[in-house]
Amino acid sequence: MIERWALVSGLRGDLETYDLIQRDLKKTRGVTSLFVLGDLVGPERNCDALLDRLKNPHRGDLKPDCIYGWWEEQLLAERGFRGERKADALRLSQGEDVVNALLNTVNPSNLNWLASLQFGFIELDCALIHGSSSDVGDNLTSETSPLILLDRLTRLNVNRLFTARSTKQFHLELTGGGINSQVKDLNGKREQQQEVPKRSVIGIGAGLNYTLYDVGSDKTHFLTAGSKTNPKRKGFA
Amino acid sequence: MNHAIISCLHANLPAAEAVLNDIDRQGIDTITCLGDLVGYGPQPNEVVELIRKRDIATCQGCWDEDIIDGLNACECSYPSQLAERRGHLAHQWTDDQLTDENKSFLASLPTSLRRDRLLFVHGSPNSQHEYLLPDMDAFAALERVETAGADILFCGHTHQPYVRELRDGSIRVRLQNADHDCDQGEELTLPMRKIVNAGSVGEPRHGSTNATYVIHNDATDEVEIKEVPYDVGQTCQAIVEAGLPKVFAWRLSHGFEFAEQAEDASHVCER
Ligand SMILES: [Zn+2]
Ligand SMILES: [Zn+2]
Repeated sequence: MIERWALVSGLRGDLETYDLIQRDLKKTRGVTSLFVLGDLVGPERNCDALLDRLKNPHRGDLKPDCIYGWWEEQLLAERGFRGERKADALRLSQGEDVVNALLNTVNPSNLNWLASLQFGFIELDCALIHGSSSDVGDNLTSETSPLILLDRLTRLNVNRLFTARSTKQFHLELTGGGINSQVKDLNGKREQQQEVPKRSVIGIGAGLNYTLYDVGSDKTHFLTAGSKTNPKRKGFA
Repeated sequence: MNHAIISCLHANLPAAEAVLNDIDRQGIDTITCLGDLVGYGPQPNEVVELIRKRDIATCQGCWDEDIIDGLNACECSYPSQLAERRGHLAHQWTDDQLTDENKSFLASLPTSLRRDRLLFVHGSPNSQHEYLLPDMDAFAALERVETAGADILFCGHTHQPYVRELRDGSIRVRLQNADHDCDQGEELTLPMRKIVNAGSVGEPRHGSTNATYVIHNDATDEVEIKEVPYDVGQTCQAIVEAGLPKVFAWRLSHGFEFAEQAEDASHVCER
């Protein structure tokens, strides 16, 4: 079966955006899975309606598979789901008011469901994670050093890492290169040559910007929900 | 100038004394210690006090950290469940023996030390518990040094001394993004970097019973791996007399941890 994935992130409680994406996907041929890579919640608006829709899809909705993201991590930490750790990263970067705003956007009855979400999915030879296995907040972009990108792929031992934290859309392919290594120990010296494996990091975007991925042909399509440019974009790559 | 780097003393006083004597004999007076002052061995207080008395710049090892924070290491710290149980026994014993003063010294140790382009850590810049094995993925190894902003990374924790040079590296990339349908090719040239593992003074696992450490010349960047014989029998006897697991004495007298090396270099400690 030919698989086509839709990858979404950064909804931050915005049901309208999610609805637009679902409508888009209905019109798009062959989408087999919908992955929501975290940041379902955010401090800007009440998130319960979106969470309810994700938990209980409408008839005709593509059923979403969700993982948690940076905002969920902050919320869950502040609500005591992460041991001693609190929403320190959020508090440090955006202050106490935003922490309080975040707490008020999600009904406590939704916390257990959020806490049950996984950190990431491994599908075929792909990893789907909000940041990377290094950290849920790992902010990978097309400007990140390829050495770091390669490290994140190596840690997971996957050929493709789909990441969302940066909110950017990009497909960065490692196409070649290598490195020499010489190890000297008490037994002597040995040389080693290693090639760069053909691997990719894909930023899937956030909010209205989402990504389609054709598994068989390894093609990514960067889309914007509700945008008129979609038909044109569908054919590219 | 030559300076010496020692690691993993593991409460083995005769080994620590032998190595410090060897360093003194060469007239080297800058010594950096990469932690694991305690654990496995029978004289934790004596070894900590020796380092304190000599005022040796030291970063915190995995054992030093666990004695302070309690055991919450992920399973990557131990190559097997058997090793884990023994490790817990040794942890408890060491915890009982150490004086409060020595514990607070261990607690005060930094996780890394930096001198110009040289970075000193116990395991890796990420964690005291991460192993940088000599044959780990070369790009991942380079990433550890590069991300930490160092030219040479000194580490320990594996108990196997080595010098690894990573050079002539490059990565070619092709980018496609929402603004550019077209591909842009680019090549990144990677810098030359070195990882130097100081081995272990008090619990060598490189196949010989000799204590190991390294000497680095900061003008030529040459590194020499040194081996120092010491009275292994004395430490082994003290281990048995202290009631510590006999296998620690056996391991010391073989210099090798049979079938129990941490093999998964790609495992990233998530603690
Ligand atoms: Zn050690
Ligand atoms: Zn260690």
